[in-house]
Amino acid sequence: MTDNALIQIRSVTKAYSKAKERIGIFEDLNLDIKKGDFVAVMGPSGSGKTTLLNLVGGVDQPDAGEVVIGGKHIEKLSEGQLAKWRSGHVGFIFQFYNLMPMLSAAQNVELPLLLTKLSRKERAERVATALSVVNLSDRAKHSPKEMSGGQMQRVAIARAIVSDPDLLLCDEPTGDLDRETADEILTMLQLLNKELGKTIIMVTHDPAAAAYAKRVLHLDKGLFVEKERAA
Amino acid sequence: MKSMMLQIIAVLTINIKSLPQRFWMSTSTIGAVALVVAVLLGFLAMANGFQKTISGTGSQDTAIVLREGSQAELNSVISRPDQRIIEEAPGVARQNGAPVASGELYVVVDGVKKASQTEANLPLRGVGPMGLNVREGFKITKGRMFASGSNEVVAGAALLREFSGFELGRTVRFGTSEWKVVGVFEANGSIFESELWADLPVVQSLFNRGSAVQVMRLGLSGQNTLEDMKSYLLEDQNLDLDIYTEQDYFAEQASQTTNFIQYLGWPLGVAMALGALAGALNTMYSSVASRASEIATLRAIGFSGFSAFVGTLAEALVLSAMGAVLGVLIAWAFFDGISTSTLGASFTQVVFTFELSLDVIVQALILALAIGLIGGILPAVRAARQNVAAAFQTAE
Amino acid sequence: MTIFGFVRKNMFRKKLRAILMLAATFIAFLIFGVLMAFFNAFNSGTENAAADRMVVVNKINFTQTMPFAYFNRVKAIEGVELAGHANWFGGYYQDPKNQIPVFAVSPEEYLDLYPEWIIEDEVRDAFLSDRTALLIGADLALRLGIEVGTQIPMFSNIYSHKDGGNSWSFNVVGLIEGRDKDTPTANVIFHYDYFNETITFGQDNIGWMVVRTASPDLNDVVAERIDTQFANSQAETKTSSEKAFNKAFIAQLGNITLIVGLVVGAAFLTILMIVGNTMVMSIRERTKEIGVLKTLGFSSPRILRMVLAESLLLSFVGGLLGMGVATLIVAVMSVLLQGFIPGMAVGADVFLQALGIMFILGLITGLPPALTAMRLPIVKALSRG
Repeated sequence: MTDNALIQIRSVTKAYSKAKERIGIFEDLNLDIKKGDFVAVMGPSGSGKTTLLNLVGGVDQPDAGEVVIGGKHIEKLSEGQLAKWRSGHVGFIFQFYNLMPMLSAAQNVELPLLLTKLSRKERAERVATALSVVNLSDRAKHSPKEMSGGQMQRVAIARAIVSDPDLLLCDEPTGDLDRETADEILTMLQLLNKELGKTIIMVTHDPAAAAYAKRVLHLDKGLFVEKERAA
Repeated sequence: MKSMMLQIIAVLTINIKSLPQRFWMSTSTIGAVALVVAVLLGFLAMANGFQKTISGTGSQDTAIVLREGSQAELNSVISRPDQRIIEEAPGVARQNGAPVASGELYVVVDGVKKASQTEANLPLRGVGPMGLNVREGFKITKGRMFASGSNEVVAGAALLREFSGFELGRTVRFGTSEWKVVGVFEANGSIFESELWADLPVVQSLFNRGSAVQVMRLGLSGQNTLEDMKSYLLEDQNLDLDIYTEQDYFAEQASQTTNFIQYLGWPLGVAMALGALAGALNTMYSSVASRASEIATLRAIGFSGFSAFVGTLAEALVLSAMGAVLGVLIAWAFFDGISTSTLGASFTQVVFTFELSLDVIVQALILALAIGLIGGILPAVRAARQNVAAAFQTAE
Repeated sequence: MTIFGFVRKNMFRKKLRAILMLAATFIAFLIFGVLMAFFNAFNSGTENAAADRMVVVNKINFTQTMPFAYFNRVKAIEGVELAGHANWFGGYYQDPKNQIPVFAVSPEEYLDLYPEWIIEDEVRDAFLSDRTALLIGADLALRLGIEVGTQIPMFSNIYSHKDGGNSWSFNVVGLIEGRDKDTPTANVIFHYDYFNETITFGQDNIGWMVVRTASPDLNDVVAERIDTQFANSQAETKTSSEKAFNKAFIAQLGNITLIVGLVVGAAFLTILMIVGNTMVMSIRERTKEIGVLKTLGFSSPRILRMVLAESLLLSFVGGLLGMGVATLIVAVMSVLLQGFIPGMAVGADVFLQALGIMFILGLITGLPPALTAMRLPIVKALSRG
């Protein structure tokens, strides 16, 4: 147990009730993730991969145990506090992009910044920067309807990094993309990890995608089996 | 042809069976159409009832004579000498040798409207013995007729419904004299039921009219004798009179108010219909959108675009028809038979009831179906043109 | 983009639907604006009645006359500052169906009793000095095509001229303008003397009297004094404030308040159902998007405010458009109905009422979906759709 880990999960228990039955996902789970790590989480469906992501992202609360991120006990935060924490510290990337259909690419990327006190000019600058990182500056004014899957995911990535969070949480980011586009996206994630120092947790069922990560965790029946990988 | 019919029936069945899925949207459209129908029916029933009361009054066999240009009984005046001449005109029926001619006085007294507890103008009609002969269906239903020469009045049944102060046995005061209500009368639901009647000479003396009357009612001796009467009185005798059949006179009176009510009611109804139309279009477009893959699947199977068109249009018409029925029920429950009164021609109150007749209902139904038709056609076209490939796409 | 811009874009996410919702709201407020203008115009008689003016009529009914001699007696009653008298002429111009309010009045007193009638000094002098002079409301003159400085015949449907027939010749010396936009001026007035000397029956009788008291507080006392004077006489009187008199007259038409209330209520209920439902449906479509916004850090209360802002925006835009067009329509109608109904206008108070209603409607249609959106757990929202 390293104390300088960015993410520390201690004795976390989580269960769902479905039709009066208690389905346990995690029982006394422990996990450390260091700053700058790029972790792929794999496992059969129902193993709790997405739940883990939700717990780390403050989107869900554990029944018992602690989730400490950057020294903060986020299991103790109220809903409002969590929202605030998320906007500065976490970026989400989803399998189906989840862009706002009636906004342009630039406006989609701008969304998280609307919660800040930045001026219009400052916001525009940040958006431009984010879009250039993902190589989509020329499509700033296009709407999601006019984009391919890969382009939409890049917009989603730009949105995830625009407020410069430490942590990126990705749920099957390449699940809907063809091989070539998937590789582009994964390369971009590697870039964000190596060049910009983002800590990334990526849930995936695709071993080829997992290969891009620094380490791979296998989750099965709520337990981790780790396979270390050379960087 | 048979195949087309089967397709249409199939699509219709699917559409209507799936209505519960779009329950709230469909319900709000039904509600909107119902309100449009109810409001329009309210106005039309008002106009209809008013019209029926007034134009139901008056027969083709009675002539009304007023002073020229008076427009209403209240304003007219006919002197005693003129009355003599009029009685003897050709075309006037005779009974036992005497002319069927009733000179009448029409004055206004105050009553209290029950509903609002405010004052209202009520007509007091002075009639002579011939007055009953020129009225169809007049009958005393309670008490008795007034005795001639006495300070007694009889009150019309409609008047008693709407106004207080003239109940049987009551003593009322007009000016400095007192009168007793000795009877209640009915007269075929006509406008006369909104009146008080008393003996002519007594009213003449109270209201200082000497021997003049305001209107003369004459029984016509045969059909088409009105023209003879008119040419005799207007040309030969050179009197300044207006002469109509009683029916024509009242029809004219009714039209002004009924026209006003209709000029008010229809624009309102149409405006509200446009609002309901917006709702209907919205419901139908979203209905088509939510069933896009269903429709596309049917088309992929081989159903024609036309069947999709008919199915959607039918859905819209069904919704508006349901709304129409609901609206008629609401109007019937709230309005039908409600008695009320308003100002008539002579600044006096006319009591009438809201009447929901068949032709009125039909008009409202047409409006409702128009909403369904217009609200359904464009979405139906979209359904017909539904892109078949949509059947193979995932949602959104 | 700002958060408001985002709200606006959300409102128009399905353009056709947004337009239909705006149309429905627009129509409801159009109906409201026009009906309220009519309603207020009807009641303008009561609104504009002077507090210190009273009307004295025959107790039997206001269509009954009183002896002229009563006038001098009323003038002498304590508390009466000024009194005038008038007779209903039963006038029509050219066509018997074209009835207009024509009164034979005590000329000088009447002009003093109605200071809200603006009459130029030369016109006043001309009117007072010519027995056959006639004053007519400006809007009415326009509608009938009557010009100042001409001789016109006016007919009576009640009285006959002693020279035969039932028309009187008048000298149109001037127009009556109203002090305010909604002052009733659709009247024609001429000299009582000219009237009394030429009618064939009913001489030396007056229809009603208008009385100004020294102060409105004295109204009840003066009214009682007047009515007691004539109690038990041939023509007993009833004195009431002008406002009460007008109000009672309007009440005879029917319960207009109820009718207007029902129609307006029905219109708003309709859009409440339509827009309310559509808002709920629209928010339900966005369940996943709301979840995503929450992951981005939008707090639940903020989401609530955004949904409410959307419904309020819809309500206000549609409502303001509706009121705007209502104002136009009413302006056109007031020109068409010149001389019939004075004061047709969408007043400031109606606008304020409308704004209030827009706010409440926006709140009612927005609150249920806003609450749902606020309470939506992120995990649930993301797993939908």
